[in-house]
Amino acid sequence: MTLQEQIRSNRWHSVLLIGGFAVIILILAAALGAALNVWIGAFVLAGALVYAVFAILSSRNMVAAMTGAQELPPDQMRELQRLVENVAIAAGLAVTPEVRVINDPAPNAFATGLTPGKSFVGVTTGLLQTMPKRELEAVIAHELSHVRNRDTRLMTLAVVFAGVIALVANIAFRALAFGGGRRNNGGGNNPLVIVLAVIGFILAPIAAGLLRMALSRRREYLADATGAEITNDPEGMAMALRRLELDPTTVRHADPSVAHLWIESPTHSVEDAPPGGSALAGLFDTHPPLDKRIATLEQAGGFTLPDPLPAEPPFIATA
Amino acid sequence: MIAVWIVLAFVALLVVVLVFGFNGLVRLRNEADTGWANIDVQLKRRADLIPNLVEAVKGYAAHERGVFDSVTEARSALMSASTPAAAGQANEALTAAVGRLFAVAEAYPDLKASQNFLRLQDELTDTEDKISAARRYYNATVMRYNTKAQSFPAVLYAGSLGFHPREFFSAEEEAHAVPQVDLSPQ
Repeated sequence: MTLQEQIRSNRWHSVLLIGGFAVIILILAAALGAALNVWIGAFVLAGALVYAVFAILSSRNMVAAMTGAQELPPDQMRELQRLVENVAIAAGLAVTPEVRVINDPAPNAFATGLTPGKSFVGVTTGLLQTMPKRELEAVIAHELSHVRNRDTRLMTLAVVFAGVIALVANIAFRALAFGGGRRNNGGGNNPLVIVLAVIGFILAPIAAGLLRMALSRRREYLADATGAEITNDPEGMAMALRRLELDPTTVRHADPSVAHLWIESPTHSVEDAPPGGSALAGLFDTHPPLDKRIATLEQAGGFTLPDPLPAEPPFIATA
Repeated sequence: MIAVWIVLAFVALLVVVLVFGFNGLVRLRNEADTGWANIDVQLKRRADLIPNLVEAVKGYAAHERGVFDSVTEARSALMSASTPAAAGQANEALTAAVGRLFAVAEAYPDLKASQNFLRLQDELTDTEDKISAARRYYNATVMRYNTKAQSFPAVLYAGSLGFHPREFFSAEEEAHAVPQVDLSPQ
């Protein structure tokens, strides 16, 4: 896929996502309206839409708050800001995205923003203390390719929509559980409506979750490939992924609603998956396994990673 | 009647192919222009830093005239280069000359310790990194543009509509992209 095709497909998916979100919210509101009261349904619908628009407009700050990403003063970590600048130039981005740092020992990174000009890249202090410069460049290139091909917009929309749907479904469930007894109109007595409502309330969060996850997985392979192309260094990208794989620590702020923004799934190592359920776990993962991503890079670049990885000084010495 | 429709459909298809091909070429050409502007900005910044660096070193090592002259010459060659390939070559020459200047500076501990010199050295390194980053983007874009302009069917009209192949900015690649061969005895 060329960059233009990726951008076009992402635009199309964004439209689909917005449409799908509208339909799910409409179903939820209709179910609520049918089960309880038309006005409650209308109120929830209006509230959800207003909240979604507000959340999209303030998504930058929301993601920053959810991940704990701190703004960097211009004079701090100039090396890091320069590195991001250089990768942005190599990626052909007109504006260098801002860098924010998350105080967390687990190495990880993400990018977010509705347009490339208003995006920011978040890196954990753990990443800076684990990765040598070459691999840090690869990680940043991976993130900036998400920014360049507008994955970040789609993912940000997905975060917001999933959040709003979860919230509305939650409210609806409580309203039904506590308010369902007082039936003030005939419609509430219709068993079909109740069944529809229950299906809606169960399906909606699942739909939201699957939607969110389906978004992220193939994109990771693409961003690995594009990032390797930007730095002209597939081996560096593979080494960075291996180093992420080797690191046992996980992000403390593992908010599942922003899981798919990160380069490595932050919730991955938290879940101690039962041995039998691994196929199912694979289905619900936000990220393809690092092993597969490394193997893909090795195949494309025609190299094999040295084992163990060469010991190189990290970008920032551990304090 | 059917023949007319077939001809019309064919013409319509031709128009669609032409429009998409033409727009694709325009987009790639604009991307290449942006890429070149990125390189140009960094080359100018580098050229602006050089006189300051020469002055800073002169203050400590005024007698190393030969090195200063070669740096100044390489700088003016870069400033007057008119094509990407020429600018690429001039840039390589300047890198070599600046390398010699830094080698000279090694012999003067006071110079090496001076804040001004350190700052200039740092800025120059940064510019060089940025030039190589901008070069990667530019060369990749030019590659795509040239490939498109030279493939069928664009090759039929690209030349006559002014889509001429672009020059690369020095083809040399980064050191670590070269496969490493281990010659140490096992």
